[in-house]
Amino acid sequence: MQKILLMYACLFLGLAGVASKSGASETSFLDEIKDIQEKFDSRTVEKVRPVTRETVLAKDQYNGRPFRVLTRKNEINRFKCSNCHTDKAVTVNQGVELTHGSISLNHGREEQALSCIDCHHPEERDYLWDKKGEKIDFNHSYQLCGQCHFRQKRDWLGGAHGKRVANWAGERVIYNCASCHDPHSPRFKKRYPATYSPPLDR
Amino acid sequence: MKSDNSSDKNGCSCTIGTAGSDRRSFLKGLSIAAAAGSAALATGCVPSVEAAAPEKMKLRWQEFFKDNYRLMTQEEKEATIARLERLAKLQDNLDIQMSSEPPIERVLYGYAFNISRCEGFMECVSACVRENNLDRKTNTQYIRIFEMEPGKLDPSTGDGRYYHKVPVENKFYMGTQCFHCENAPCTKACPIKATWMEPDGIVVVDYDWCIGCRYCQAACPYYGRRFNWGKPEIPKDEITTRQHYLGNRIRPKGKMEKCTFCIQRTRVGRLPACVEACPTGSRVFGNLLDPESEIRFVLKHKKVFRMKEELGTEPKFWYFID
Repeated sequence: MQKILLMYACLFLGLAGVASKSGASETSFLDEIKDIQEKFDSRTVEKVRPVTRETVLAKDQYNGRPFRVLTRKNEINRFKCSNCHTDKAVTVNQGVELTHGSISLNHGREEQALSCIDCHHPEERDYLWDKKGEKIDFNHSYQLCGQCHFRQKRDWLGGAHGKRVANWAGERVIYNCASCHDPHSPRFKKRYPATYSPPLDR
Repeated sequence: MKSDNSSDKNGCSCTIGTAGSDRRSFLKGLSIAAAAGSAALATGCVPSVEAAAPEKMKLRWQEFFKDNYRLMTQEEKEATIARLERLAKLQDNLDIQMSSEPPIERVLYGYAFNISRCEGFMECVSACVRENNLDRKTNTQYIRIFEMEPGKLDPSTGDGRYYHKVPVENKFYMGTQCFHCENAPCTKACPIKATWMEPDGIVVVDYDWCIGCRYCQAACPYYGRRFNWGKPEIPKDEITTRQHYLGNRIRPKGKMEKCTFCIQRTRVGRLPACVEACPTGSRVFGNLLDPESEIRFVLKHKKVFRMKEELGTEPKFWYFID
């Protein structure tokens, strides 16, 4: 009796094995690609022209690989902030120009809307700070943004959010958060498209 | 127009018009040469022309008898490129730099498009038109962006002709272009093998070998191919002069063309023009054979789908959502 049961069991397992094999036979080229684990160093690609914009080595890594980000300080018109933010008083006739009246702050939803010192360091004016009180360099603002936008940061590190600068190969250089988003009003503004499409001739 | 028969040193008899020739006289000369030339071709000898013939005619003559790009040796590729550069100078007074850059080893290009990020600004479309020397007269575009209703995933249900401020609330945007199928139906439809997939996965067209039958256009389930009804008209100061034989060189009249993942850029490590122009970072491009590339990150960590996947064409173009 036991022998018969064992035979049935073997038969069943065998059939199951065949079935699963035939299921897997519908393979895509993608399966082969996903099996490739051999690393490809895109820095070996010849003829890559290096990025000409100012970059800095990021303090984070992706899978143990370092990368660079575009700098931010050189994009800020009146950096360093401590040039003005001293103990000295500012005369009234310069007031309008110097008090950042042009900034419209629209970051965070209603009751959680952010104010200046949520990101800017109140004492060390040339720095940002995070919620733990750590000083953060303007060039490394992704460390600050990532504390709320952690999902975006994870995607940004891997490459699903943001993008590389100029090259797919060569040393990895990616856009910083504030290269694309205005940190004071991060959502892109509505505008007309750059062009339009005619009907297809078909 | 005077034409005279002559035998050159190689023993190939061929005839060609003399100075001041136009297309008609060229063809006239050609028909006379055909009889004599066919014997010459059978022996593998490319008919040469009289030294007196103008340079332009000579170049066009040599171009006419060149091989399919895939069968050319590297020297032949360089020779045809030199001729095409010179012809551009002679015919249109253009200084172009054409390349025959081969594929990079262990590279297979893949592309991903984030439908939850794209906001329909169409910067990609205008960058593509400029980079690829597309005809401005008929407003040829390789990329189309569709404004889509939520829940729909087929671009044919979307609006591809919108022109208003974007993004519109409760709509999303979806881009299409050539998907560079791994199992491309267009390449099978071509009766003369003028279109094929390169080792790095880019589906290309040899514009000089194409006869303009448009079978490939009919075979493509994604409306990825475009046809030149006339010679492209481009303002001279907007012509991209860094070109590739299989890429953005100015197409002759009556040829098929399509997105080449900007072969002239990608083969030297640059991103395609659409990716570089995208202001929202919706476009991801990279090497599928590199496990650490951005495109592989998307395939591994995101919900992805391809258009008309059930056809088995295996596009190397994925849509994904955040």
